[in-house]
Amino acid sequence: MNVQCYQLQYYGPSRWSHCRKRGIDGSLRTKRDPDGGERENDGNSDNRHTSFTTPESAGPVSRWGRQADWGSQVEDDEMRRDVHRDMQRYRRRILGGEVTQRERKTSSGSSGSCDSREGENMEKDEAVLLRRQKQINYGKNTLAYDRYIKEVPKHMRQPGVHPKTPNKFRKYSRRSWDQQIKLWKVKLHAWDPPTEGSQDKVLDNIDELGLDDVMDIELDFPILSDSQNVPASLTTHSLSLEGEDCLGTPVKVQKTETTAEPDMA
Amino acid sequence: MENSTDDYRIQSFDLDTQMLLKTALKDPSSVNLEKVSNIIMDQSLKDQVFSKEAGRICYTIVQAEAKQSNGIVFRRNLLNRLQQEFNDREETRQRSLQEWVCYVTFICNIFDYLKVNNMPMVALVHPVFDCLMRLAQPDALMNEEEVDCLVLQLHRIGEQLEKVNGQRMDELFFLLRDGFLLQEGLTSMARLLLLEILEFRAGGWLLSSTAHKYYYSEIAD
Repeated sequence: MNVQCYQLQYYGPSRWSHCRKRGIDGSLRTKRDPDGGERENDGNSDNRHTSFTTPESAGPVSRWGRQADWGSQVEDDEMRRDVHRDMQRYRRRILGGEVTQRERKTSSGSSGSCDSREGENMEKDEAVLLRRQKQINYGKNTLAYDRYIKEVPKHMRQPGVHPKTPNKFRKYSRRSWDQQIKLWKVKLHAWDPPTEGSQDKVLDNIDELGLDDVMDIELDFPILSDSQNVPASLTTHSLSLEGEDCLGTPVKVQKTETTAEPDMA
Repeated sequence: MENSTDDYRIQSFDLDTQMLLKTALKDPSSVNLEKVSNIIMDQSLKDQVFSKEAGRICYTIVQAEAKQSNGIVFRRNLLNRLQQEFNDREETRQRSLQEWVCYVTFICNIFDYLKVNNMPMVALVHPVFDCLMRLAQPDALMNEEEVDCLVLQLHRIGEQLEKVNGQRMDELFFLLRDGFLLQEGLTSMARLLLLEILEFRAGGWLLSSTAHKYYYSEIAD
């Protein structure tokens, strides 16, 4: 039985019956199990050794990444709960008919009853979701992401221009998902805090990356007057534009293609 | 300001450390959180008064860090330190009963306060039970301070523990019944404490008013 295995780790093979026997006849019960049996006088490392590893069967342990330390266990547990909560919310949103035009187009098959299909067709495998969430967390746990979300509120985000967090609940192949994550993180780099020294240095780095997505961002720059949220680090122009009216460009002037998709960003 | 720090019972620290803790509460990313968690841990092992409520200050720092920078440095360090001490608990108990009792009080207090999404931290459930089971062993029952510690923890977190693992709670109480009935050499205080906790749990983690009168009326007077 699970709990018995665990009991061996802290104080010898003591079950309650063991104690009872000890009480009645007053003598110490002999060790039955040489592996687990530890008397306090021993003080050797065995007891510590066995108790260091988390009992696999006696409690919920993270399926992926066998972490024995409590810090990681709690973090994994927290992530698992968050993912489940996200899943509830996502399901409700999808099945609640908040599916937009975009969603209808991308969901395969006939028109009409895509909504429930979307809900059923979502990724539900916990291991996959947790892995994806971890990858998302790595991306979000950056200064770049912090700066990005402060600079660009959701309703002002332009698809293609602004990075969008991949939707972990969509069915994608492993390769496709990993690629989405990679591209997303590259896009986020545009919001990296400027390093000490010149902005040129940042520009050089961008050139070195040589990726199409990054070049796309640069191409948007001539239209600075209506995309005031373009990151300052990508251009030297922004400095000269400070104080000019482009900063005061009213939001409504911008032609943003507002989408009401469940944006996980 | 004074009131809030009283709640955390940090008066036993020297002034510099008090300052550090107060800063940690308000501006966690400006301090070395690993150091802070070690300070709190070390003090909890020495100071019984502090260990009884140290969970509260830990909770506040965890929340503050999460809010300020989405960080988990403090919590992670605290938990891993807690785990280290857990692994060495038998040795600690041999060396100093006081320190052992303080440790159990502290880990139970952490279990009580540090919740994850309002749920107890799963990682702590078995370790907490292990500690309580240790306190229910025959040799431990002979020491009033260990019995006292045991019943205190059960009063505070027994109900929560039972909810997350009823089976282990049952096993613990098998030990307590055995101890109460069969253990020779128990002091009358120890037996009183055990009887009270047996009734307490039997009453659904509540003491009936008559039982309360029996056990506590003298104190009230």
